[in-house]
Amino acid sequence: MNLSLPRAGQASDRPASPFPPLGMRRAMWLVLIALVAAAFVASLALGAVRIPPEEVLRALVGGRTSKDTWQTIVLTFRLPKAITALLAGAALGAAGLQMQTLFRNPLADPFVLGISSGASLGVALMVLGGAAVSAGVFGRTAFLGEFGLVTAAALGAGAIFVVVLTIARRVQSVVTLLVLGLMIGYLTGAAVSLLIYFSIPEQVAAYVNWTFGSFGGVTWQQMRVFAPASLIGLAMALVGVKPLNALLLGENYARSLGVNVRAARWWVTASASLLAGAVTAFCGPIGFLGVAVPHLCRALFATHDHRVLMPAVILLGAALALIFDLIAQMPGARLTLPINVVTAAFGAPIVLWVILRRQRFARV
Amino acid sequence: MVLKPFVALYRRFLIGLTVMALLVACTGQPAISTQPPEPSPSPVTASTPTPLPPTPTPEPTATPIPTPTVIAPTANLTEGCVENYDPAVDYFPEKVSSEDATGFAVEYFNNYKVVTVLNPWRGAQEQFRYVIVQCGTPAPTGIENALVIAAPAGRVIAMSTTQLPHLEKLGLLDRLIGLDSFLYVNNPKVQTLIQSGVLVEIGGGAEVNVEKTIEAQPDLVMTYGVGDPQYDAHPKLLEAGIPTVINAEYMESTPLGRSEWLKFTALFFNREGKAQAEYAAMKQRYLAVAEKVKHVSNKPTVVSGMASKDKWRVPGGGSYFARLILDAGGAYLWADDSSAGSMQLAFEEVYDRAINADVWLLTAFRRYDSIKAILEDEPRYAGLAAVKSGNVWNYDKRVNENGGNDYWETGIGNPDILLADLARIFHPELMADHEPVFWRQIPAQP
Repeated sequence: MNLSLPRAGQASDRPASPFPPLGMRRAMWLVLIALVAAAFVASLALGAVRIPPEEVLRALVGGRTSKDTWQTIVLTFRLPKAITALLAGAALGAAGLQMQTLFRNPLADPFVLGISSGASLGVALMVLGGAAVSAGVFGRTAFLGEFGLVTAAALGAGAIFVVVLTIARRVQSVVTLLVLGLMIGYLTGAAVSLLIYFSIPEQVAAYVNWTFGSFGGVTWQQMRVFAPASLIGLAMALVGVKPLNALLLGENYARSLGVNVRAARWWVTASASLLAGAVTAFCGPIGFLGVAVPHLCRALFATHDHRVLMPAVILLGAALALIFDLIAQMPGARLTLPINVVTAAFGAPIVLWVILRRQRFARV
Repeated sequence: MVLKPFVALYRRFLIGLTVMALLVACTGQPAISTQPPEPSPSPVTASTPTPLPPTPTPEPTATPIPTPTVIAPTANLTEGCVENYDPAVDYFPEKVSSEDATGFAVEYFNNYKVVTVLNPWRGAQEQFRYVIVQCGTPAPTGIENALVIAAPAGRVIAMSTTQLPHLEKLGLLDRLIGLDSFLYVNNPKVQTLIQSGVLVEIGGGAEVNVEKTIEAQPDLVMTYGVGDPQYDAHPKLLEAGIPTVINAEYMESTPLGRSEWLKFTALFFNREGKAQAEYAAMKQRYLAVAEKVKHVSNKPTVVSGMASKDKWRVPGGGSYFARLILDAGGAYLWADDSSAGSMQLAFEEVYDRAINADVWLLTAFRRYDSIKAILEDEPRYAGLAAVKSGNVWNYDKRVNENGGNDYWETGIGNPDILLADLARIFHPELMADHEPVFWRQIPAQP
């Protein structure tokens, strides 16, 4: 169980890698912010239905569009989706960074604690087990709807959240937390498989649909829960960057600096779980962004300082989520792709390229 | 190790993809479900030349003369075997010919027939060929890559509820010895068989229980394929030496074509006469309804399916469902499209096109008790004209307690009823005497 893959721990001792030069950092921030803004605007302007930019603007400022459906499309389809992608991308980036530092493991993702497994189980129980469980009380498929899915995912993620936090306060080592996450994953995996085995195709399809993930299911009503939850999580993440820096150097070192390691660990866990739970509940298990964004930011900013990395992952996560969602929509094309296909298909090569390139520089 | 949850997620995702592929293949509807023939409109007793019962064939059993005094049969042998084989005799005087189905082809010879399943699943690279040999006669040699099966089969296992209506129409339910699953059956006769304990449940897809199947000693297992060994039962069954055939009715793009696979089933039981008659009668009823609504000037526009988050899966314009809407006198909004499966579109695109649609055919698994409940789930539907006017229907009128929808059983086997249902929805004034069998109008309030 060699968890302390060395890079995270050692790198900060190393002289900053030559890529990119430090002077570029400010430019980098501007580029990132511009990227987020551009992606946000693009996701409002582009979609399966072609709406002229001036009409989009008119809809946004509350004017009447020349076609009634356009206004509805911009205000109730595109706007909530863009905001959701923005928040979800930021949340996944932040939670991924927190988990990678907490476990000092470059492969950790926001879901390593089992949060998304809990959400999956909640959804599976609702969708697949709904027939058996709720038959008497609610009627056979009372909870199959979209709202039911969100509730189920939130309950599942929340239950695991409570378990993880309770245990996080007591454990001596992060390894225990990691094993806990793994075991939760196995248990829920077994339960979900069992449910699938006994379910009929329509139910399995509903469940599978959920696992594809989507930013487009959050209505304004759900936004009232999703936005505050992810904003609170992000705020907690930003506040907690100093202890993260200490944890990066190892728990003993952190202790010697006077950091209350257990409290720091709890804070990080709480924030990451809240972020991962909110995203999974409302968007489904969005893969990849949480692992990739922190790596990209470390490479782009050539640092392991969380005071830089945390805002960076939030911006880059948001930008990538918006861009990947645009690609999934394939403006102009008739068909759409599941977001998880795009994040992995486009994201993996980018990360590979960045990391390989960085290795080469590091060796020089 | 940390990878584990990630891998699990990914694997689930792959499974998901495959399941979705299966659903897409089936026109956005579950391929496989379930249904029994219903006691509705027409119990389909054809008035056509009912193929005489067994009218035995060749010869008296005494086996007296060794010479060619074999009397040529006038009907196929639906029971038992030929006792005195004469190569010059045509043992299948009753033959099938397909009119609407494009997925299988039959060739008749004196004592055997060769049927080829041309299009077993979407994108299939292979075809399946079966040599059906009159029992009591020698199998032909030299036919490669073909499974030899004796007819008439006596013991059959059905792996899809869509096959049950065919067996019932052919009078073969007494030969049914097993199903993939008992849960989704609606057919009362089959349910009685289940309750009396005479059927075995062997499991579907790759989860099929081979040992149970062998023990049941079927002469024929009729299954379907999606082309993925992870989800198909036939590779395992064939490996175990069980005579397993692929029934690819779900690949047909017309409602009549799908139900014409009745004739395919009949081949294995020598019930061609009965199949021809049943199909002809059904087709006549179908065409009669189609004729009734053909020249109507106002064809209501129709949208189908439901959104899931920001995606909306609609049946392709070349699908059997689109054809059904067309034949029922409706104007399907994606009729211009040619895909036979279903299409995953953006919700906003469907919204934009369907905003003024007259009728919304849900095809939802969930049983909504009211339009209000639908809107609680997804408020964005509220703008649709069909929602405002209350012309919202779902095909969940006949669903058993386990969620097995009779639409996918009796419905698929009786396209004339499906057509009459839709015609009634689109043109109530012309179809006043028909009460929808499978479709339920969803009330505005609970």
